[in-house]
Amino acid sequence: MAEQIETAETTRNRTAYWLIAPGAVWMALFLAVPILMIVYVSFWTQTTFKIEPILTIASWKQFFSSETYIGSLFTTVRLWLIVLAATFVLGYPTALFVGLFVKSKTLSTVLLVICVIPFWTSFLIRVLAWRPMLGKEGAINILLQKAGLISAPIEALLFSELSVVIGMTQIYVVFMVGPIAFMLSRIDRNIIEAARDLGASFWRIFFKIILPLSLPGVIVGAIFVSVMVLGEFATTAALSGRKVNLLGNIIVTQVGSLKWALASVVGVILTIIMGLVIAGFLRVVDLKKEL
Amino acid sequence: MESRVLKPVLAVYVGLFILFLYGPFIVLTILSFQQGPEGGPQFPIIEWSTYWYRHIFGLTPPSRVAPLPFGESLIRSLTLAFMTMVTSTVLGVMSAQAFRSKFKGSGFVFYLIVLGMMVPGVLTGLGTALVANTMGIERHWWSTAFVTHVVYTFPFAFLVMLAILNRFDASVEEASWSLGVPPMRTFRKVTFPLIFPGVLSAMLFAFTLSYDEFSRTLFASGRDQTLPLAIYGTFAVEIHPNVFAFGVLTTLFSFSLLTVYAVLMTMSVRRAGRAAIQEDIA
Repeated sequence: MAEQIETAETTRNRTAYWLIAPGAVWMALFLAVPILMIVYVSFWTQTTFKIEPILTIASWKQFFSSETYIGSLFTTVRLWLIVLAATFVLGYPTALFVGLFVKSKTLSTVLLVICVIPFWTSFLIRVLAWRPMLGKEGAINILLQKAGLISAPIEALLFSELSVVIGMTQIYVVFMVGPIAFMLSRIDRNIIEAARDLGASFWRIFFKIILPLSLPGVIVGAIFVSVMVLGEFATTAALSGRKVNLLGNIIVTQVGSLKWALASVVGVILTIIMGLVIAGFLRVVDLKKEL
Repeated sequence: MESRVLKPVLAVYVGLFILFLYGPFIVLTILSFQQGPEGGPQFPIIEWSTYWYRHIFGLTPPSRVAPLPFGESLIRSLTLAFMTMVTSTVLGVMSAQAFRSKFKGSGFVFYLIVLGMMVPGVLTGLGTALVANTMGIERHWWSTAFVTHVVYTFPFAFLVMLAILNRFDASVEEASWSLGVPPMRTFRKVTFPLIFPGVLSAMLFAFTLSYDEFSRTLFASGRDQTLPLAIYGTFAVEIHPNVFAFGVLTTLFSFSLLTVYAVLMTMSVRRAGRAAIQEDIA
């Protein structure tokens, strides 16, 4: 009997291996190998027109001795932190309303769908849409001038770091709202009711109950936003007028001039930053336990 | 008490938030009706016209603004999205099915798959381009780009199917097995109809993500552009309202695809409902 169960289990296991094999092989070949290839190529020798598999750390030296590249490293980290903070500050109140304050399930679903609808417009079109909005003769400047708040158009709105931050925040804020609203909707209303009956003020309830219980949602949202912002280059290409260069932009320009080795160095650095960021977030909250 | 003040304040805030999300697109839509070909991509609207919409379809007399090369790239993007959708959904269903039994190494494989949606597109694109170059393989949208698209969408399909199968009542399958129905037939006749709504969501995810995918495609595809690459090409040059008109059209197109999905979903749910009723009668 025991033997029979065992054979049944091994058959099931064997089927599982057959089922998982195509997916696992696909990811190994087309994800793991390319990533390892980036690490490998970052040590190749780069001449003007070609790269050769002779190991050297020349490209690494080139990266760390150039002010432009180091500068873009800091710009990437700075923009990431600003956008992360902006998406959290702008997104949390919305999530609070959708997840906690709205009593009807239908209304909160409708609100979430409204937030998601813009995603069916191409990402690049959504980025480009900020140009007529922020430009010198753009909608915001016209509105502000008509309202008499400013006399001359604000030129710093477009083709600056500000426009990149505004664009990225608008595109990625929904990734913050979703997970937070989800965690908030799972909070047992009786706890809040009990705290209120015991005389706790709203802010006390917020800081002692609501915020801590929604933290896993914040972390998931922060991981989404971080992963996307750190790998960005299109928003800066469209809205910064080449003034803001992220690590992603460096990769694109280097590949454009066939400097594969240097592009790979930047790629490895980007991977390391991402790894550190995700590991850091996962240390704050144990997601497996929470979800 | 304070929530009586707070709730309306938050409601107003959410209204402004939605305006923030939609504002640029509203402005873009208005400007797409700018007069052409002299009207630029800014206010004021000189005269309302559909010039730029006609311009996209080549219905206007030739002018200094070159028509956008969108026709072929749209077909490429749709083909690529379809290929990606089928492949990643098949892989997703198979892998999620495998994860129902705790096999050795399942933890590692899980992270390997999920990594695909975490790694930024620039990196997978760059890596794929490097591998292709080293091996002397030419890059095309239907080969190297397709492969990286699946790396990106397969994890989504996998997670959707995993969530569906977690809530799945395995006893129906066991009943089928114990009645002597072979596993493949059981999967086709019992399991698959039950998980079909999940399969549809996985397909929707894979299709939309691939259709709009840009950063992976940039390095991994060759000369022939997909739709997002064609749009990216307009970033460098002076933009005209035809790009805006194009944005409006693609959005409408996405919504029609979404409607098709919604209809399919309702039909499959209704069919499942009808089957349940028939069972009750029997």
